[in-house]
Amino acid sequence: MTTAGVGRPARRARQADPAPRRSTGYRLAGLRLARLYAASRRAATCLLVLAACAIALRTALHWLPRSGVYAEQIPLTIEAGAAAVIGVTTGSPFGDPERATGRWLPYLRLVAAVALAGAAFGALAAGSASQHLDGGTLALLRDLAGFTGLAFLTGAVLGGALAWIGPLGYLAITLPALAGHWTTPWLWPARPPHDRGAAICAGLVFAAGLAVVTVRGARAWFR
Amino acid sequence: MTTATAPVAPAAPARPSRVALPGPARLLGLELRRNIMPWLLPLLAVLFWLVTYRPAMADPPFWDVRSGIVQSHTLLAFAPLLAGAAAWAGSREHRRGMADMVGMTALPRWAGQLAAWAATTCWAEAAYLAGVAVLYVVTAHQGAWGGPLLWPVAVGAAFVAASCALGFTAGALLPSRFTAPVAAFVMFLALAGGAFALQANVTYAQIWPLNVQGAFPGDAYGIFYPYFPDLPIAQLMFLAGLAAAALGGLGLPAAAGGRWLRGAAAAVTAAGLAAAGTGVVLAGTARLEEHGIVIPALHDAASDRPTPYTPVCGHTAIPICLQPAYRALLTDVTAALGPVLSQVAGLPGAPVRVTQVAVTSVHADPSNGIALGGPVIDGRPPVLYLPLSRVALPGEGSASAITENLRQQDGAWILSLVVGLPGHVGAGASVGGISVMPGLGPRHSAQVAVVDGLVRALDLAQPGPLRARIPHGTPPGWHQELAAAQRFAALPAAARHAWLMTHLAALRAGRISLSEIP
Repeated sequence: MTTAGVGRPARRARQADPAPRRSTGYRLAGLRLARLYAASRRAATCLLVLAACAIALRTALHWLPRSGVYAEQIPLTIEAGAAAVIGVTTGSPFGDPERATGRWLPYLRLVAAVALAGAAFGALAAGSASQHLDGGTLALLRDLAGFTGLAFLTGAVLGGALAWIGPLGYLAITLPALAGHWTTPWLWPARPPHDRGAAICAGLVFAAGLAVVTVRGARAWFR
Repeated sequence: MTTATAPVAPAAPARPSRVALPGPARLLGLELRRNIMPWLLPLLAVLFWLVTYRPAMADPPFWDVRSGIVQSHTLLAFAPLLAGAAAWAGSREHRRGMADMVGMTALPRWAGQLAAWAATTCWAEAAYLAGVAVLYVVTAHQGAWGGPLLWPVAVGAAFVAASCALGFTAGALLPSRFTAPVAAFVMFLALAGGAFALQANVTYAQIWPLNVQGAFPGDAYGIFYPYFPDLPIAQLMFLAGLAAAALGGLGLPAAAGGRWLRGAAAAVTAAGLAAAGTGVVLAGTARLEEHGIVIPALHDAASDRPTPYTPVCGHTAIPICLQPAYRALLTDVTAALGPVLSQVAGLPGAPVRVTQVAVTSVHADPSNGIALGGPVIDGRPPVLYLPLSRVALPGEGSASAITENLRQQDGAWILSLVVGLPGHVGAGASVGGISVMPGLGPRHSAQVAVVDGLVRALDLAQPGPLRARIPHGTPPGWHQELAAAQRFAALPAAARHAWLMTHLAALRAGRISLSEIP
């Protein structure tokens, strides 16, 4: 199935039906387009994995000590995993035919990326509710946004299927940085939650990733 | 003109053909060329530089310290990414919609999958070993004493292969766009879980592949005695078993090959699981000893023989001899302990030589901690065995900090050993800079006062009233002890020495009262 034929029912509705039914037809077509887009990106599976991440975070926070290296590293690992999964959903199974025919594609990409990132934040915030999360919700938002931005950027460069390399590679650099107390804001997970420089860096990376993945999408260089 | 009548073109000179490789080698060559790993090499190089090379270079050039980093730091960064990349390689046939087509070829599918795994692993091993080689060459160039430790490298190489095998199997058996990130993510979580189990003192968690000789400090093993291979052998069994079980599991589905092939795959899986289980069970029997982690079933008595070396000695009243790897510390140790040794030189029972050792005693603490003993006087003639692994490594920290640390910790400790204070003085409450066991009773008052007086006289610690730092309650008569200590500290050094020469035996036997201290 492709998204190319998605507009047909709407066109038929426009020709046959009077004006009051026209908007309903557009809405239905739009919803169908969004549903097909989400299905082609395996968004439902992504949401399931995000829910699993939230459960993993809650379980970890229950057992982890309230401070120390593990209290920082394990939640961070789960956040990076969630971002990696979001990045993977940017990959298209159709490639160029979809680019050529889908004029709504940038909007769909933007909405899907923002929705999944929001869902990830909501799931992880819910998973950490009433538990002690090192750095709190603010650090969760910053770190998750940065990881997700990296996943989008990697997806745009290497392809959606390899988008996980960015956040997980960055995580591998970050883990020793946590113990080594590095101070650069570009390693935002190692900075305190109220560090403005770290928040700006993570925000910039998220904005850049979102912009690139919206405009260009995730190209599949490696198949 | 038809093609039948066309002149026959002269035959082109035969091109020299490439050397015909056997089938498996040709397949491996193809897989090596068409692998994702070459594209990941720059990322792995950057990771190695940030995670391993930089921290290793920040440490002094000691083989044991840097080898430990090679095993722990590098693999924490590499293993999850390799598992993800291998999962990507394993799901290739599904991703390209070729699973059925490949299943019909003459080559058994299991063999093809093994070739793809081998190619991924070859690239990963090449990246890992190249990084290790660079680090070891630089370490050798910096003049590290002894030779490189290869067991941590072997464990690392096995973990690389096992990560690739686990990831590849996950990718082949559960192909999906989410398999690669989830494989990498699960590997991260598994490593974190292992570290957490190790910290919770779960005995079997010693098998954790990033575990290098438990909680021993990096410089407490592998210099004075050979590196104990017990734990690495168990880890190798575990990792090789995991890899074999995962790869054997690939050959179990009906599409993997014929009956015999699947039987062989089942045997490999069973053998792998048995090896991994044996490794875990062996790790469960591990115990902490003075020179590393010992697993009785794997321990070789030859490892218990000390590594021979020619010590480097300083010129103090009592000669201080260090292991040559610590040559750079000799000046600091001499400056720190020289005054203490001058005070006790020649006293009956005082040491005639100070010899550096790795550790004197060790026992496990909660949360994967370790408690190392302090200096010990032993033997005839008495020798002071001085461990320096708690202090600093040559080139680590400033000279003044090292000297101060030694003066405060070991200087006071040596004095208390000389006057015969009981037990391991050094744990428990701190008295005038000397740490004293809580079990000290009134009969030790004179010894405590003499040591405190010497500490004050030699300025080994911040001056303060005797037992001022004991948190709860002051023992009766403490102000008499304080007065005696202050009197003794006020004596000239020669007078203190002369008094100790005469009364040390009685002081040790507890026959000196506070009033007898001059």
